[in-house]
Parts: sequence; C-alpha cells; structure tokens
Amino acid sequence: MRIGIDVGGTHTDAVLLAGDDVISSTKALTTADVTSGILEALEYILTDSGVEPQAIEAVMLGTTQFTNAVVERKQLSEVAAIRIGLPSGDGLPPKIGWPEDISRSLGDHVYMVHGGTLYDGRPVAELDQAEIARVIADIRLKGVDTVAISAAFSPMSPQPELTVAQQLREAISGVKITCSHSIGRLGLLERENAALLNAALLRFSDTVVSAFGDALRQRGFKCRFFVSQNDGTLMDAEFVRQFPALTFSSGPTNSLRGACKLTGLDNAIVVDIGGTTSDIGILQDGFPRESNIVIEVGGVRTNFRMPDILALGLGGGSLVRDEGRSIGPQSVGHKLVTEGIAFGGSTLTATDLLVAAGKLDLGPKYQPVQLSPQLIQNGLATIQETLNQGIEKMLPSSDPLPVVLVGGGAVLVSEEFTAASQMYCPEHSGVANAIGAAIAQIGGETERMVSYQEIPREEAIRQVSQQARETAIAAGADAATIRIADIEETTISYMAEGSTRLRVKAVGDIARQEQAR
Amino acid sequence: MAKLGSESLTDLSAGAVFLATGGGGDPHVAQLIAEQALEIHGPVELLEPEDLADDAYVVALGGVGAPTVSLELLPSMNEAVSALQAFEERVGRKVDAVVSFEIGGGNSLIPIVAAAAMGIPVINGDGMGRALPEAQMMTYPISGVLPTPAVATDYRGVATEFHTTDIMEFEQQIRQCALSSGGMITSAEHPMTGLQLKNSVVPGTITFSIELGRILREYRGNAHRIFEPLSELFAGSIYGDIFHLYTGKVVDSVTRIVGGFDIGEATIAPFDGVGTPLGISIKNEYLVASIGEKTIASVPDLITILDYETSTPINAERLRYGQRVSVFGIGCPKFYRSPRALEFVAPRCFGFDFEYQPIETLNDTCGPL
Repeated sequence: MRIGIDVGGTHTDAVLLAGDDVISSTKALTTADVTSGILEALEYILTDSGVEPQAIEAVMLGTTQFTNAVVERKQLSEVAAIRIGLPSGDGLPPKIGWPEDISRSLGDHVYMVHGGTLYDGRPVAELDQAEIARVIADIRLKGVDTVAISAAFSPMSPQPELTVAQQLREAISGVKITCSHSIGRLGLLERENAALLNAALLRFSDTVVSAFGDALRQRGFKCRFFVSQNDGTLMDAEFVRQFPALTFSSGPTNSLRGACKLTGLDNAIVVDIGGTTSDIGILQDGFPRESNIVIEVGGVRTNFRMPDILALGLGGGSLVRDEGRSIGPQSVGHKLVTEGIAFGGSTLTATDLLVAAGKLDLGPKYQPVQLSPQLIQNGLATIQETLNQGIEKMLPSSDPLPVVLVGGGAVLVSEEFTAASQMYCPEHSGVANAIGAAIAQIGGETERMVSYQEIPREEAIRQVSQQARETAIAAGADAATIRIADIEETTISYMAEGSTRLRVKAVGDIARQEQAR
Repeated sequence: MAKLGSESLTDLSAGAVFLATGGGGDPHVAQLIAEQALEIHGPVELLEPEDLADDAYVVALGGVGAPTVSLELLPSMNEAVSALQAFEERVGRKVDAVVSFEIGGGNSLIPIVAAAAMGIPVINGDGMGRALPEAQMMTYPISGVLPTPAVATDYRGVATEFHTTDIMEFEQQIRQCALSSGGMITSAEHPMTGLQLKNSVVPGTITFSIELGRILREYRGNAHRIFEPLSELFAGSIYGDIFHLYTGKVVDSVTRIVGGFDIGEATIAPFDGVGTPLGISIKNEYLVASIGEKTIASVPDLITILDYETSTPINAERLRYGQRVSVFGIGCPKFYRSPRALEFVAPRCFGFDFEYQPIETLNDTCGPL
C-alpha cells in the first residue's frame, strides 16, 4: 500500500492506495506550517482505513510549496550569482530581464568573472585566481551563504563551475551551491536562471524535507518518502534537498496523471478547478503534453521541461461581479471558508453562486444564499463560457476530445462543454492530484560519451536506451511499462567529429510488490 | 519620420524568428541588448530606403557564426557599436546609416543597437528578407556591392580587417575568423552608397516583421487558427503565398557544429504515426522539406516550424524530440527567383542534387491539412 499526498495553496489532499484501489481519501486545509496539515490528513486516512503506518511501503509527496515560494517571493534565500564568462556577456549580467521584486528577494549580489569555455573547448579566458578570491571574500563579508554558479558551455565543460564551487566550499563553511551544469541544458541565461531559483530554495527545501521526514517517523512510518518532479517521476528525499526547483509544475503533472488513472483515458483534456484557478492540460498517450515554449516561473525564463498548461483565473473562490457577467481572476483563495457568503462572510464568490443555484449543497451548517435569478443565470453562463473557450484554445485539433473534470471546484461546471466529446467527473476526482502523486513513476537516466564515427547513431541510442531501461528497473520500475521519455544529445564539437554526450531517460510505473515477488 | 522604440522590439523579435526559418540565432539575447540600448539612447530613426540620399554612406552590420554558440557565448553591450566604430576608423569616414544582413533572428536587432548608440538611422529593410547561412547569399553582393572594406570584432573586442573583393573568398575568410574567435563575431561589411542600397535591399522588412509578430501574439493559438491571418498578411507582401506543409511530432532531431555551421536533420511524423514522415534538412536554417523522395519546399523559399499549439516559431537549435509542430512554407521575395540570384541560393548551392522549384508548383493547396 502507498500514500499519495498533494500540498496545494488551499488544500492538502491525501489518498491511500492498495494496488489501483483507493482505500481512503481526504481533503484538509493547507496549514501555515504545511506539516501539521499533512499530519492531519495522514491521521484521517490511517484512522479511516484502520491501516497501520508500518504497512505503508512508500509515501509520495507532490507539493506546490517551492513553486509558490517563487511566485509569491517568500522563503527565498539571498543568493550570490557568479557567472564565469567575461569578457563575453558584459552588460548582460545574471538576473537580467527578471521582474524587479524577485530580483530584489535574492539580494544584490551579482558577480561576473573571467573564464568559461568556448564551443571548441578553448577557454573564453583563463580563470583569474585573484579575481575569484576577491569575489569570494566579498560574498563572505556580506554573510551570503548560498551561491549559484554558471559558466559559458558548462554542460559541455563543467570544470570552471566545479573549480569555483570547490574554492567557495573551502572559504565559506556550510555554503550551499547550485552549479548550472547540474540543472540545465544549453542556453546560458535560462540555465543560469534555473540555477539561481534552485539555489534560492535550498534552505527552504532543507526545512521542508526535514520537517516532513521527522513527522513521518514520529507517526511510526518506516518507509521511504519521495517527492514528485515536473516530468512525473519521483525524487528521493536527499535529491530534493539539492534540486527543489525540479518540483516546479509537478502539481499539474500529478492532476493529469491522476485523471488518466481515474478514467482509464489516455487522450483527454483535463480541467483541474481549484480555489483560485482552473488549469487546463492535455493528456496525450497517458502523459501530460509538454510545452514547447520557454517556460517562465514567477516571471523568470527557465528551460525546464514542463506540461503545457493554460491557467484561467476561475475557481471556487473567484469573486463574482457585474451582475455575474464577470467572475475572477481575483479570488478570496483559502479565505473562502471565512469570507464566502455561504460560510458566513460577505464576499460573493463562485461557490456562493452554485449554492444559490441549488447546484451545490454544503450541508445544513452553512448559510443559505439568496441571489436574483438573473445574476445566477449570468454567473453560470460566464463560468461555462470561460472554461469552454479555454478548452477550445487547448484542443489539439478541431475534433472534440473527452473532458475530465478534477479538483475541488469541479462542481462549478453545470452542463456539457460544446468542445467536449464526452464529460467525465470520476469518483475521487477531488483528490486526483494526490492519486497522481501516488502513481508517479520511477525514472532511470543514463549518460554516455559516444562517437558516431565508431557506433552508428541509431545503434548508440539503442544501447544507451537499453541501459536507461535497466537503471529504471533497478530503481524499482515495472519492466512492462517502461518507455523512453527523453533523448538529449550535446555535441562536443572540439573533440573528434561526432563526439556526443548522449543522455536518455526511461520511465516506468512502480513495480508492485506482487509483481516483484 | 518613423521612430523605432523598445515597445516594438517584442513583436519585431517574434516576427524575426518566424522569418529566420530555423536559423538566425535566438533573438532573446539581442532583444535584451536592444532594449537597454533604446532605453539609454532613446528610439532610433527608421529610414525608408527611398528616403535615403543617393550619395549616403551605408554599411551592413550583423553577427556571423553558429546560432548554437549565441546561446552560450553572450555578446557584450558594446559589441555592435565597437564593430561599427572600428569600421569607421578603418575607412576614415562617418557612416550615415546602418542596415541589417538579414531580418531573420537576432541579426535584425544588431544594427538597431549600433544605430541607437551612434545616433544614426537604421534602414527599414535587409539583405535577405529571411535568414541564410552565408555572405554571398545576401542581396547586396548579388547586386554587385563589394564586401570590403570590412571589419569584424570578437567577444574580446579584437578587430580583424578584410580586404578581398571576391565574395566567396570573403565568406571563407570571415567564417574562419568566426571559427577561431569563439564561433561568433560581429561584422561591419558591404559598405555601399544610398543608390546601391536602394537597388539591392529587400525593403520594408522591419515594419513587416513587427506586423507579423503582432499577428503571432494576437492570434496565439494552434496552426489552424493562425493560418488565415498569416495568409492575408503574406498575400499583401513582398513574399509569396504561405502553405501549411505538415503537422506532426518531432521524432528525431540532430544538429552538430560543423565548419562553423549548425548542420543536421529533423524528422517529423504524423501524430497518429500513420503516413510518411516529413524530413527537414538543416544548415543553420531549414533548407529542404521532403516527404519520402518528394521535395515539397526548398531554399530560397521559406520553411518555418511552429509549435503546433501556440504557433510560436521554433529555432533549429531548440527543436527537440517529442515537440508537436506545424511546418509552413512561404514563397521567397522575388529577388531570389532571378537566375542571377539562384546561382547563389538554389538547393545546389547547399549540396542538394536537384533544381529549385517554386513552392507553389510543388503544392496544390495552400490551406491547413
């Protein structure tokens, strides 16, 4: 049995799965400290199911904490940015093009030093030890203890980044470092941005991972815990401490995967309606369709691979105005339970509209909501139209697709969408994210330097793919479900013609105990 | 007098990527530099070719090298202006206006950066109407403008002078210079009079690119949605008709830096896997599109690859396994269809063993598949 947990901005959901079956599920409010909300949810499903913590094989956590930290500019550490690349890039310092507020959150600690590598392996400039020593001394003096290091062509030659990292560790005890070559591909600015965001989250991720691990142990769990990342695979706890940025966008990935699991549909449009937004994504052969364009996180360009999501400002807590002709994007968010009219507050929200229309019954302890028939009619039409337009925008072709509604706000939808061939609102759809986390996959990655002169390219890809498969199986993936998720080639042009760094990622479902036996 | 300010740069860049047909380099970095330049120095004057005095002195300015390099070896703020200053020093006179090599990609923005810093106008037009990999393929030399005197500067600010009057030799020399200087240099070359410019430039391409970028932004959506507005725009332009050539998923894409170019192949298969895949040959730009043995578009006509869902153009160095894309083809500016121009830009010039056939003779219908 395993437990999936999804920590969202408003709700913390948990599910207990035995094989494919949902044994128990719950939806609790996300608490300010997050951990107590998680414990509350865990307590509920353990009590509800009567299962002992020792019987749980794994706990999978999907969390938006790190994305939200970036979006809301909270919990971010000050980070020193060191770019090794002068004299190139003078006038284009790290953090160029960033929104001012997030740039300020990371502090004013931008350094550019000589060095880095050219495409042909020669240095852009030699590392200047005196210059590096001055930078390190300045960082020490400022008391900054988190650093992101980037260098031209570091995915091909990581050495300049590693050298500076080593010197930082020797000079500043306990310094936390993200090197850009460890988190991104070619594209210096985007890779550097990813490294900076990741570094800014390192302290926070330490806190989150420790708090969660401690909480599980105290409650008697003996199993490992994993955190889901943006490509739908799992990271173990230690990995998350180093790469929290890889959780960006894991929420939508989990809800799409959960919708796939709940309906058995491999190709569908999934509409995840929460308190503040509706996220529309596409399931393609059972996996989220990825975005092709440069992804911005909190207004910062990165080159992470992420699902293509259209986020509409429409959810259960959205403000209703102009006689129902305008709904959202402003929302009361998690204050819905105090500010919404049905909850005794005075703000008219989309949820109140549903209660007034008789479409949603919150139970006897909540306030009845009286609204004019015209307002109700306008409001319902506005919701329907907004979502329908969003779906049409995301449709891959003019053929309609099935639409799956998930998330706590799925009740907002009162009739069929014209863009849908069929509508699904499966049982447990309110906790689709947590289910997605629980069924997240195991990945296996293999990287090898190959020469296409010696081995033909197709054969090299076949061999490295086979190794990636084996790595995934060794990590606990079910052999029958493994597929190749990504093939990346970085040509090392200064070496012999055809020298290439070939990286393949294979992913598969977690092998169940029965299969393993 | 038309002014070009930083508010137009986003649309200009988006249009420039579309017209870059896969090459030209990522304009994001060039855009960041141009934004700073226009902020510091104010908007630049955008001069129509016909408003230029016949005896004015104009020089073409831009980057030479492999686009992949520009993702890593960032230019510095003053690279464009230092190339221009080094050129002026070499020839011993002031330049009256600058013009772009190519509207495609980052090279559309480099002259703007230098013009802003020097307080001179930039010409509304370019030497390709698209992007192409080599110097002799520009309309300037094809129309008889000599490539030199020319000066190129590298990322360290080191300047190299060129003297040859033979365009093929010039291309070889400047390519060697780029290769040995980190893969990317900024060159001021093809100095010409106002009269020579009027006789060789592809006119109006900066304003066209801004308009194209605006359409891509306002009609952001899948290929079917954007086809009609694009079709209208191109119908009234110096380009020919636009064709929707293919839709599918990238199943293979590989490029390498060879001899200072990004060289490679991409394969795009139908979404349902049924049917013959589309092959794309790349040399910095997308040069030939073929289905099986049949060529359906080739250089000098434009081939551009868009993200299927958002219609965002995708550069060759960003094309990746698994992307869902639409492939569009567009008739090139008429200049390139003359026998004289085809000596420099026909498929044979890129090593392909077939004659150029205009895109409209290779495809029956324009519309979405």
